[in-house]
Amino acid sequence: MTNQRQEVKMLQGLETILLKENFGEAIPEEYIVRENPRTIVHRHTYGGLSRFFGGLAESVLWGTVCLNQNCKWSDIWLPPRVHCPDCWEAMEWVPIDARGAKVYTHSTINLPGAGFMLTTPCPLISVEIRGVCTKFMSYLSKFGENEPYIGMPVKPVFQKDNPTYTILDISWVPKNSD
Amino acid sequence: MIKFGKGNLRVPRLSRKVFLVGVGMTDFRKFYPEKQSTELCLEAMKMAVQGTKVSAQEFHGMVNLCVYSQFADHFGDQLLAASKIHDYLGFDPIPNIEVKTGGATGGSAAKTAIELIASGSASVVPVVGWERMDEVNTRQGNAYIASAACKDFESPLGWSYTAYYALMMRRYLHEYHPQRETLAKIAQKNHHYARFSPFSQLPGDYSIEEILNAKVVSDPLTFPECCVMSTGAAVLIFCDEETAYRLTDHPVEVIGIGAGTHTLRTADRRDMPILLLPNETEDTYKGRSNDWPGFTSFLAARFAARQAYLMAGITDPVEELDLAETHDAFTVSDIQTYEDVGFRPYGRGAEFVESGDAYLGGRLPTNLSGGLIGSMHAVGATGLFQLAEIFWQVRGQWNEIHDDEELWKRFGKTKPTDFESLQVPDARRGMAISHAGTGSHVTCIILDGGK
Repeated sequence: MTNQRQEVKMLQGLETILLKENFGEAIPEEYIVRENPRTIVHRHTYGGLSRFFGGLAESVLWGTVCLNQNCKWSDIWLPPRVHCPDCWEAMEWVPIDARGAKVYTHSTINLPGAGFMLTTPCPLISVEIRGVCTKFMSYLSKFGENEPYIGMPVKPVFQKDNPTYTILDISWVPKNSD
Repeated sequence: MIKFGKGNLRVPRLSRKVFLVGVGMTDFRKFYPEKQSTELCLEAMKMAVQGTKVSAQEFHGMVNLCVYSQFADHFGDQLLAASKIHDYLGFDPIPNIEVKTGGATGGSAAKTAIELIASGSASVVPVVGWERMDEVNTRQGNAYIASAACKDFESPLGWSYTAYYALMMRRYLHEYHPQRETLAKIAQKNHHYARFSPFSQLPGDYSIEEILNAKVVSDPLTFPECCVMSTGAAVLIFCDEETAYRLTDHPVEVIGIGAGTHTLRTADRRDMPILLLPNETEDTYKGRSNDWPGFTSFLAARFAARQAYLMAGITDPVEELDLAETHDAFTVSDIQTYEDVGFRPYGRGAEFVESGDAYLGGRLPTNLSGGLIGSMHAVGATGLFQLAEIFWQVRGQWNEIHDDEELWKRFGKTKPTDFESLQVPDARRGMAISHAGTGSHVTCIILDGGK
């Protein structure tokens, strides 16, 4: 009787790339530096915040507010939270009235990190909205010379066609633009 | 939380004295192909133990527990890397824990070790910190760091903390109107001090014009105003009083610890009354109309500093401390921190630089190590690096380490011909501030080298 042994073979696709230099510096010959490639997909739930991201696709900016009579905080949260951080009760969803919204602070990004899905230069802004206790982070998708500036009136615009269901689906433009 | 109860404001105390007795570190580099993280941590540990009175073998027999400090598993692409390092250092089966609080991981890890010893749970605790940031390119590195911002509402807007700090800087310039040059001076100072450290990654003498005219990462922050991204390791050895003197004739006592947190998203910081420090009264801010903490201040830093000062009995930090190490990730975060920790009242942080207080020879020299801008930011090691530099200063040992030709050679460097001593004369007390995110976690630790 012969002992039929099975073989284990390496599957196709394990590419070998050894680096000769990195960050502009040569790698000394005695050290092996290989590339380990990575492609990963995460399945991320927005859970109770799904209404916010769904709302962007319908051109509605949703916030939340605590209606608990025993809770002292009655300003609107944007980004919304499902629960009030003070009393832990579920909050109510309210559409944000962005009339009077203005730029609280800003910075134009020239060199973003990997994975940035907007063109550069990109003016990042924090938006101040009456009745909202937070300063909503977003971007200005239309800007001219000397824009943005602190106090600049802005209005929201939404990615209605092919929404990404990310925070990039909302941006702001100068209030007096078409 | 914007209103505090008595329990929130309790001042921490240690149930028994805790001492720092040994420190060690590698040099810090953008790219370190010659050594794995295990090797880097071993080198730092070896240096720390060589500075004590015991051998590596004797030290192994004394350790009760190890604390590990690494910011992000992403960078080294190895979950539970601490376990590999613990094994490599030969500490199994002694227990270990890993602490993670973003950029403040080093400070939190050191604080954890201090608390474990103070509680009586352990007597000898090494803290091992490292980060391997060279496996990915700089753009991916920035994206990894920005994964510690809110991924739903913030990270996609830049994938870069420089952008989030630039928002704060724009607001700071708007509210307080400091000279733009004053912020550049912080970068100039720290790059300059880094020239005299064999450990440093980005030393250099830059003019203010060079700093302001350098490439803009996210306006108004320019390249030389931003911290480096490093690979390297640092180790601290903490112990109780009895063991301290078996390990060294000059232990350094921990006299103050504090920690604070605030919302991960800068956007979510509600307006609240200023939490006062021992050197402030309500009159200090009479008539003030700006938001607090808003985008210009860090509640977490103020909360941590208040705890540490009250515990150490410090009423005027500029007068009663001899040096400080701040988490100068960006020039603007440094000037904000001067105000949060009471080196100057809110809105007047620029005076701390312009008065000369922040320089060697001034009342409270800050970041003589070169800081994060000039020397290193291997994130998990950073808070430990700060405490190590203070340890050498308050033992009067700064020259012995930094002036050592052999150490420069070991790191493949040449000591500058115009080398200057940065030893603070008669330094006794120093404070290290470890800081995460846009102020999501901050720790303050005050060391006292005694007379």
